[in-house]
Amino acid sequence: MKISLNWLKEYIPNIKKNNIFVNELTALGLEVSSAKRIKKDTIIDIDMTPNRADCLSIIGIARDVSPLYNKIVKYPECVKLNQSKTNNLSNINKSICPAYSALVIMGIDNKIKTPTYIRTRLDACGISCINFIVDVLNYVMLEVGQPMHAFDKDKFDGKVCVRYAKKNEKINALDGEEYSLSTETPVITDNKSVQAIAGIIGSTQSSVNLKTKNIIIESAFFTPSIIRKTAKSYRLQTDASYRFERGVDPEINKYAIARVLSIIKNHMSINKYYFNNIKIKKIANHVGKTVKIHPSEFSQLLGTDIQLKFIIKTLKYLGFKPKMNKSFIQTTVPSHRFDINISHDLVEEVARIYGYDNFKPILKVDSISYKSSKLNKINSYSNILTSRGYNETISFSFLPKGSQKKYSESNIIEIMNPISSDKSEMRLTLIHSLLRTCQYNHSRQHYNVKLFEYGKTYKKSSKSKIIEQNILAGLISGINSELNIKSEQKDLTFFDLKGDLISLFPNLSFKPSIDSSYLDKSCQANIYQDKNIIGYCGEPKKEIYNLFDLKNKVFCFEIMTDKLNNEESIKYSNISIFPKIKRDLTVLIDDKILGQDIIDAIERKSFNYMINSKISDIFYNEAEFGPSMKSMSFEFIFQDKKGTLTDNTINSEMDKIFSFIKQSFKAKIRT
Amino acid sequence: MSKKHTSLISELRGKLKTCDSSHELSNIKSYYLGKNGILADEFIKLKSVKLSEKKELGMSLNILKNEMQDLISQKLNLLSSENDKDIKATDVTLPGKNISLGSRHPIAITINDIMDILGSYGFTSVEGLEIEDEFHNFEALNISDNHPARDMHDTFYVSDNKLLRTHTSSVQIRSMMVAEPPLKIMTPGKVYRCDSDPTHSPMFHQIEGLHIDENINFGHLKGTLIHFIKEFFGKEMQIRFRPSYFPFTEPSAEIDIKFKGKWLEVLGCGMVHPNVLSNVNIDNKKYTGFAFGLGVERLTMLRHSITDLRMFYDNDISFLSQFKDLK
Repeated sequence: MKISLNWLKEYIPNIKKNNIFVNELTALGLEVSSAKRIKKDTIIDIDMTPNRADCLSIIGIARDVSPLYNKIVKYPECVKLNQSKTNNLSNINKSICPAYSALVIMGIDNKIKTPTYIRTRLDACGISCINFIVDVLNYVMLEVGQPMHAFDKDKFDGKVCVRYAKKNEKINALDGEEYSLSTETPVITDNKSVQAIAGIIGSTQSSVNLKTKNIIIESAFFTPSIIRKTAKSYRLQTDASYRFERGVDPEINKYAIARVLSIIKNHMSINKYYFNNIKIKKIANHVGKTVKIHPSEFSQLLGTDIQLKFIIKTLKYLGFKPKMNKSFIQTTVPSHRFDINISHDLVEEVARIYGYDNFKPILKVDSISYKSSKLNKINSYSNILTSRGYNETISFSFLPKGSQKKYSESNIIEIMNPISSDKSEMRLTLIHSLLRTCQYNHSRQHYNVKLFEYGKTYKKSSKSKIIEQNILAGLISGINSELNIKSEQKDLTFFDLKGDLISLFPNLSFKPSIDSSYLDKSCQANIYQDKNIIGYCGEPKKEIYNLFDLKNKVFCFEIMTDKLNNEESIKYSNISIFPKIKRDLTVLIDDKILGQDIIDAIERKSFNYMINSKISDIFYNEAEFGPSMKSMSFEFIFQDKKGTLTDNTINSEMDKIFSFIKQSFKAKIRT
Repeated sequence: MSKKHTSLISELRGKLKTCDSSHELSNIKSYYLGKNGILADEFIKLKSVKLSEKKELGMSLNILKNEMQDLISQKLNLLSSENDKDIKATDVTLPGKNISLGSRHPIAITINDIMDILGSYGFTSVEGLEIEDEFHNFEALNISDNHPARDMHDTFYVSDNKLLRTHTSSVQIRSMMVAEPPLKIMTPGKVYRCDSDPTHSPMFHQIEGLHIDENINFGHLKGTLIHFIKEFFGKEMQIRFRPSYFPFTEPSAEIDIKFKGKWLEVLGCGMVHPNVLSNVNIDNKKYTGFAFGLGVERLTMLRHSITDLRMFYDNDISFLSQFKDLK
């Protein structure tokens, strides 16, 4: 909200220099976003928090500043209005409108020029001038905070009515739009039709123009929640709705209309006017409410002692009426303060004026272990991956509409009100995000890509329950290192990815799979830790390569980190001091037999003295072995804990191993 | 030395002169000094010499032996130092192998740093759900449906009651519902608002802190955050606390940091509203507490002078790799 400093000075004459005053406002919670000197005035723009409806006027701000300057703010004097015998009001729906004042003024001259002081102030506060009557109403709104509306009485058929709209009713509003109204829309009507959406916007039909002679001025209190709901449903925010939905002082509508009359009377002679006022007893929840607080609560909550005298004085300036009741301070809540309900609220009022910067800071350090072991793990995985050349990414949790349809069933969670169609459904996999990132980087000439991301995936279970899963995912594409000299650069393969995974987690095994909807059947594995499946990895399908326009080979993985086995109790075993003996074995074997299966079988069988076994080479030669056979070499390490092994002992073990492989896997010795 | 011995020396000298490989040298060495070499022969001959000549010849033989050994080892040294010249020096400026070091995302680095600092004050990390319900995201936090405060949260809905959490404060509620005070937690995570422009992203990161105990006051809130900001930026920053409004705290405050002459809002905080405590069945007469919410992106941008928020989610490797030296 923009305010004129000159105008404010009418209420607080001794305001300090601009820059000091601006800081004072901010320190009160009225955050100044800008202060500009314009002509002889300073225009201060305040970002108002939604709780401070009472400060949406010059007098409201003056009142909030008043404790700093020891100045009681009073409303300007104005004419006294009495209820007229002629009644211009018919039905007023009290739940929409607990208080309604109408002032009918006959024989005005709306052609007169709006006085300069009003025009400059409206202009300074960002409100455009329309005509004399409208300008005066806006002026008083800025001054005291009460939005008002004027109808041209000659275009207004009969008495004022406040009700909900009927089906099919419409309004041509002052913003040039036609709105279709619903039975939940609060409206102001004459005998025939809707003349305003209550508290929000008027109709063009009865609007006041230069020729207007007779007017009805409306000054009402509308129930904030109803105005908020209506304004939101029509996406309409006006100066009036902005104030009404936050809460206009429910006791002020009569005063505001009298203030309007006083100003009009200063500029023309008015002989005939009628005033009608309707008000229910319990106009708003907070009116007449009292709040009790023990003085010790201030220091308890703030950590600094504040003198009782300061507390009482501050509350009085802000419009409270504090009294001591035994050892408690008891005070009524002023009608302009919708936001004061409990003792904490009073503490904040006093703290604001005392100044937040004046409270003593205390650092309380407790010795509790802090990061969850889960986050520590994720950090250590991340650091291993970065040291292996991966860049960490963070992608949006949402993906373009329909982009996952092909790859999953009906368990996608869609956003009902997406910001755009390319961010409209929650991701089911991080692979999709990584492929997008890879594509983006390829398009920027980064062809060597190693990426990982830790984040969530989201899906609906069969019972429509929402499932969030923590995932660590990675993707590689390109060569091993751009920084290598050319002869040492090699294309990354599935086995680079597998190596990275094995360095991350203990006890992994990889089994061929065909489950993934993103990965190609020819290069796809489920990843097991001990006996639990913890994720999968492989190469994307051809259609995925095409979809993301990927030219280089890509390999990726996804690990469900919540399924990782985190027990890592390592027990030391005795080290042998005797020499190790290495033996090789090369066999011809059916190509369908998986390397790991042979190693697993050998280890299960547990041959004497064998401490390690691994596959050391794979070799194909169709001409020599035939198309369905491969040559596979193994390397075995033997060691005894009690002595040096002899060749004879090892030879007999090697014979056993070969006959085992021969029997179990139909292997032949390669000659 | 006898004449014969002198001539043997000069013969050796001659052979050594033309010798140019260690292989040849070892042949020469075994010819003269080997088991069945010239020198061994001479020693055998010594046995059959008259006693009167034996002493003199023996002495001469010893001199011969020493001289031969010296000459051959001199030549050996010479040859091996010549060999060294054949070994090429390593060009230590050539690239090391496979050194493409990756990088943590700057957001992750900031989150880690923040948690390290808050952790040292005794805050424990807790995580929560990103898809929340109205109760945990709004109602329990004293944000009623019809209050304009809801406008501060443009919310993404995935069903009538389920939404993408607009702040990590929802984790506060879940934690307070299951644990008894004292409670001192921090909750990092992604949050979502239906908002997108150069300074707002529909997804961003927050860390929420919450401390509930007996006798916790505004001074503790200030002390914690003043120290935090100083440690995070690594120096004394000019900061100010100003009153603000959050439905779940009372009094509420925001902290601004003076950055290049301008006040920038970096976090919101306040004393936990008694309604929030009673919503989660914590005795609000006995316990008080403070809460604060940090915007991770904002702090990261300030720290690294990043001006465009979108850089964080584009994941351009040229951007990401700039942070490779941060852990």
